[in-house]
Amino acid sequence: MTACKVVIVGAGPAGMSAAIAAYQAGSKVTILDEAPQSGGQIFRRPSKNLYGKSYASKAEQSRKSVLLEAFDAISQNIEFVPQAQVISAFSGLELQYVVNGHIHTKRADAVILATGVREKLYPFEGWTLPGVLGAGGAQSILKTQMVAPGKRMVIAGAGPLPIVVAAQMIRAGVDVHALANIQSIFAMGKNPMAMFAGKELIMDGLGYLATLLKARTQVLRSYAPIRAIGNKQLEAVIFARIDKSGNAISGTEKTIETDVLALNYGFVSNSELAAMFGVQMQYSELSGWHAKADELGRTTVPCVYVCGDATGLRGSFVAQSEGSIVGRAAVEIFNGISPKSSDTEFAGLYKTRNRHLRFQKTVAASLKLPEGLWDLSTPDTIICRCESINKNTILTALDQGHTSLNAIKKNTRCGMGWCGGRSCLHSVSSMASFRSGIPPLAPVTARPLARPVSLGELASPAEDYNEH
Amino acid sequence: MKQSSISLENDLVDFSFDGQIISAKSGQSVVAALMQIGQYHLRHDEFGAPKGAFCCIGFCWECRCRVNGVSNERACLTEVKAGMLIETQKGLE
Repeated sequence: MTACKVVIVGAGPAGMSAAIAAYQAGSKVTILDEAPQSGGQIFRRPSKNLYGKSYASKAEQSRKSVLLEAFDAISQNIEFVPQAQVISAFSGLELQYVVNGHIHTKRADAVILATGVREKLYPFEGWTLPGVLGAGGAQSILKTQMVAPGKRMVIAGAGPLPIVVAAQMIRAGVDVHALANIQSIFAMGKNPMAMFAGKELIMDGLGYLATLLKARTQVLRSYAPIRAIGNKQLEAVIFARIDKSGNAISGTEKTIETDVLALNYGFVSNSELAAMFGVQMQYSELSGWHAKADELGRTTVPCVYVCGDATGLRGSFVAQSEGSIVGRAAVEIFNGISPKSSDTEFAGLYKTRNRHLRFQKTVAASLKLPEGLWDLSTPDTIICRCESINKNTILTALDQGHTSLNAIKKNTRCGMGWCGGRSCLHSVSSMASFRSGIPPLAPVTARPLARPVSLGELASPAEDYNEH
Repeated sequence: MKQSSISLENDLVDFSFDGQIISAKSGQSVVAALMQIGQYHLRHDEFGAPKGAFCCIGFCWECRCRVNGVSNERACLTEVKAGMLIETQKGLE
């Protein structure tokens, strides 16, 4: 029997766990990732040759090192390709990717998409100023670069990440002027049973809250940024208190001076490769468009699997369990074995996964954004950062009847720039649904090339281009 | 100067940002090194608006700059090297 060739996209908790499971099930594993090292976003490794301290909880550091060590232990036996930009997914289970200026193709017997999520932010006046960052992005500077992204910071958002980032920045010596959240930072404590299901993470959370309390950080409850001010880069942020619908309450504005504003209002699943394979997609308010998958990670296209946050935001515990399930299931299904969820190993993985899914319901509730946030921008506010398309242009297109994402894109150029719509299209579809009251009907059509590549790169096949 | 492997000190390297000589830790990204001196502005877009690192992980391409004469390199993914020339871009290049 020829070994099953598994190609995994993404080397975060889901992808690394899938690689380990697929290798242990006897397959030939290739794992592609954009970053220089494995780890993904949550388990990012420090940049090579940089020394420094980790500000994450002890529990998270230990979970991280266990998984990274397990992945490193098999790395000699699998093909790990860092700095790989996957640009196309073709029928016939073929992926095309660019590494170091050359284009490669890889045909698989099973493809596992563990592409994770990106940060969700709502647009407001001045949000394109240098110094306004994703809070996860700011945290990635701390994790890989071993330095803080600035001396003075303000952090704002929804859900747990802004709290975590604020506490880690304080521990790293940053002067955190304020933490603004759309609800109370204690709101997640409302559902003790669900909280207990995520007991590992609750201990982490209490540690971070203790750091904030000890530092006497100004916590603004039900506040959100409405304007960033600065000449060449950020100098101050105007916050306003928001009502339950997310509308700014006039007269409540506060101006806070800062060098960095780090924001996170949740996450959007990275699903363009799944869409390019033609799998059936579904929309969730929590994490946008993502592939529909069953309990074994199977999508509607045979041999294309998804796991982790790419199938909707559920956190790293779920991602790790799912990666282990899907990695093994993909190989067994190829070998004609039907994976049994009653088997003890699977049962243990499902148990952890389902327990954390219960906890993730409280995270999802904390990330439910009031609709008005999508309307805090002014007519001149840039929505599409790459093509400098403002809100007025988008609203005009909507008024002219261009309501689908595809139509808005074609008529405004919104989403046609360098980032491929990854920064703006979720905002556009949220703004459109907010206006019309109709949930988004279809994602934007995904076509090659998923990442900007030069003609030179496309015309420069790697030596093994035609070998599969 | 290369320290012994047990040293936890980072080596320092000098690079140029629009002609200004900046000292950074070897292994650090251009974005991280510039953040240490409070420089967030890295580019003017085609309408003249100032732009800088936004996602910090490579997907948004907002931190594009010229590295040793090559345009549109992402500063967040570019590791500083001794003698590297970093220049801000104006408009599309």
